[in-house]
Amino acid sequence: IKIIVIGKWRLGVGKSCLLLQFTDKRFQPVHDLTIGVEFGARMITIDGKQIKLQIWDTAGQESFRSITRSYYRGAAGALLVYDITRRDTFNHLTTWLEDARQHSNSNMVIMLIGNKSDLESRREVKKEEGEAFAREHGLIFMETSAKTASNVEEAFINTAKEIYEKIQEGVFDINNEANGIKIGPQHAATNATLAGSQGGQQAGGGCC
Amino acid sequence: MLTRVKSAVANLMGGIMAGGSGAEHGGGSELPLRFPYGRPEFLGLSADEVECSADHIARPILILSKETRRLPWTTGYAEVINAGKSTHNEDQASCEVLFVKKKTGGANSTPNKNSTKRRSSLPNGEGLQLKENSDTDGINLYYWSLFDGHAGSGAAVVASKLLQHHILEQLQELVDILRNSAILPPTCLGEEPEHPAANSRTLTRAASLRGGVGAPGSPSTPPTRFFTEKKIPHECLVIGAIESAFKEMDLQIERERTVYNISGGCTALVVVCLLGKLYVANAGDSRAIIIRNGEVIPMSSEFTPETERQRLQYLAYMQPHLLGNEFTHLEFPRRVQRKEVGKRMLYRDFNMTGWAYKTIEEDDLKFPLIYGEGKKARVMATIGVTRGLGDHDLKVHDSNIYIKPFLSSSPEVRVYDLLQYEHGPDDVLILATDGLWDVLLNEEVAEAVTNFLPNCDPDDPHRYTLAAQELVMRARGVLKDRGWRISNDRLGSGDDISVYVIPLIHGNKQS
Repeated sequence: IKIIVIGKWRLGVGKSCLLLQFTDKRFQPVHDLTIGVEFGARMITIDGKQIKLQIWDTAGQESFRSITRSYYRGAAGALLVYDITRRDTFNHLTTWLEDARQHSNSNMVIMLIGNKSDLESRREVKKEEGEAFAREHGLIFMETSAKTASNVEEAFINTAKEIYEKIQEGVFDINNEANGIKIGPQHAATNATLAGSQGGQQAGGGCC
Repeated sequence: MLTRVKSAVANLMGGIMAGGSGAEHGGGSELPLRFPYGRPEFLGLSADEVECSADHIARPILILSKETRRLPWTTGYAEVINAGKSTHNEDQASCEVLFVKKKTGGANSTPNKNSTKRRSSLPNGEGLQLKENSDTDGINLYYWSLFDGHAGSGAAVVASKLLQHHILEQLQELVDILRNSAILPPTCLGEEPEHPAANSRTLTRAASLRGGVGAPGSPSTPPTRFFTEKKIPHECLVIGAIESAFKEMDLQIERERTVYNISGGCTALVVVCLLGKLYVANAGDSRAIIIRNGEVIPMSSEFTPETERQRLQYLAYMQPHLLGNEFTHLEFPRRVQRKEVGKRMLYRDFNMTGWAYKTIEEDDLKFPLIYGEGKKARVMATIGVTRGLGDHDLKVHDSNIYIKPFLSSSPEVRVYDLLQYEHGPDDVLILATDGLWDVLLNEEVAEAVTNFLPNCDPDDPHRYTLAAQELVMRARGVLKDRGWRISNDRLGSGDDISVYVIPLIHGNKQS
């Protein structure tokens, strides 16, 4: 399953840090600005099935948008990330969401992430605002901290679960790779591997 | 490239090749790989990252983004995979700072592997601090390479790992000669030089190794000559070393393919910077251009069935058995039909660039050695590039006719003197595989670069990386309903695309 991490910001809302925390279980306070696309991968188990998540972490700066746009193609899910300590990152969500919806598969699962929940004292965006935005646009919502690892697992795994359910419901055509889902070789009858990547475009490359 | 090979063969034989297997030698897949498939070492991608990047639908553009991974001279690099014509990205690249160490021991001894030590194995950044240091026993060498594989990725992977070592090996013997720029290279090693006083150390040493003629301290009168002697400049020895290295690389692939699975073949475009000069060596259809002050200076030419028609026709004329009685070496403007036998038709032979009429004979009905136009031109309906490495087992589909005798591993080497011009930060050397040049003209590439670079901070370490990304983006385009499209709604390149942007200003600093 391919998941893409999205978001836009000059200094970064922490997309790359989320990815690093999820794939390597570590936090890196200083991270280079993402200027291209970086990849991560991790195996998870859902419903007894091994699923490989491919995660694409894309540059969030405005100047890279024309390049990163094609990366929504073939993404089954997306994490749309903002920084709870910076109102401007929240204000830009609509633009990113439109971009994502326009260039992706209409069934793409989108999760809204308010990152840096450890910085409660500097909070500028209330949790309720995030929830309201998610409700309005039909997204799943979570607040995370890449620093403390709070909810990071859950964010990716819940997105994957949502995708998995859609596959079970037959919403995704698993035979079409453009949907970001690939059935792996069946080693045993019970062990179908779903190679998936969540394509979420993360904004800014800077971290947390 | 593979697609081109396949479709042409299918057109000719009316058959369908499955998965390119026809191009690989029998049983090859049971042998171990010489090197595992991967992306260029300097990108530092894990197996997972390589897997993610091989996405033919989203076609991510890979660049050198990590601070810890830099190429010498802040060279920019970007690549993108094809739109589905082959599973892997069959382009390969490597870039290193190397050190040519003087060969110790006799001139005829087997080269000592340890003496070609890698000064710095990029990308760990250490090479960046390299200076013309106090080392008296060697020369720094900067190396960039691009390979475009076809009918498998094996040859390109092997060449990207090993060609530089063949170049080093060839240059080792020349260290003293090249460093002594005041004196022309000796015609024959071991003889007394014409001006022994100026370089006695070098040559008497060589002489003593041969144990022959001028021993140290022997009289300095040059031997009387009764014949003229060509003066060979130093750079011609470097050119010769690179040419020999290409040949050695091809021979190594030929030898090792019996014990390893080295599939397919590849083009090779290599740049060596040595003692202030750039040597651009090209075998195939990749291309190098310098953009200086907004002007294009071509640094290579392409070797294709069209550009090499006369060489190929002449070879076939001299050695008709290579055509296996199925092809004619003559060229006609179109296929000759049986009913036209006896009529006069336009043709051309190896000795012609123009056209003439000849009376059509039975033999002229055979399939032409070179057929097709432009990017679709093929040698024996099989391959669209006529120089490169590998392809030892490539045959005409469904036949026993080998293509390799028509292919040359010899590069054309052009020299550019970095010291002849004071380069600015926007003066660059562009190297790219045909994926770029198929859809963009030299002038379009130059325009893109000259518009892009001035808008980047001159001190931004990613400056040339972003320029390379911009070029790949322009050639790949964006995916629309009717495929990948670039500016003016032209078709984008569905091929693998790899691009280096090498700033020349660092060359000035170097030397």
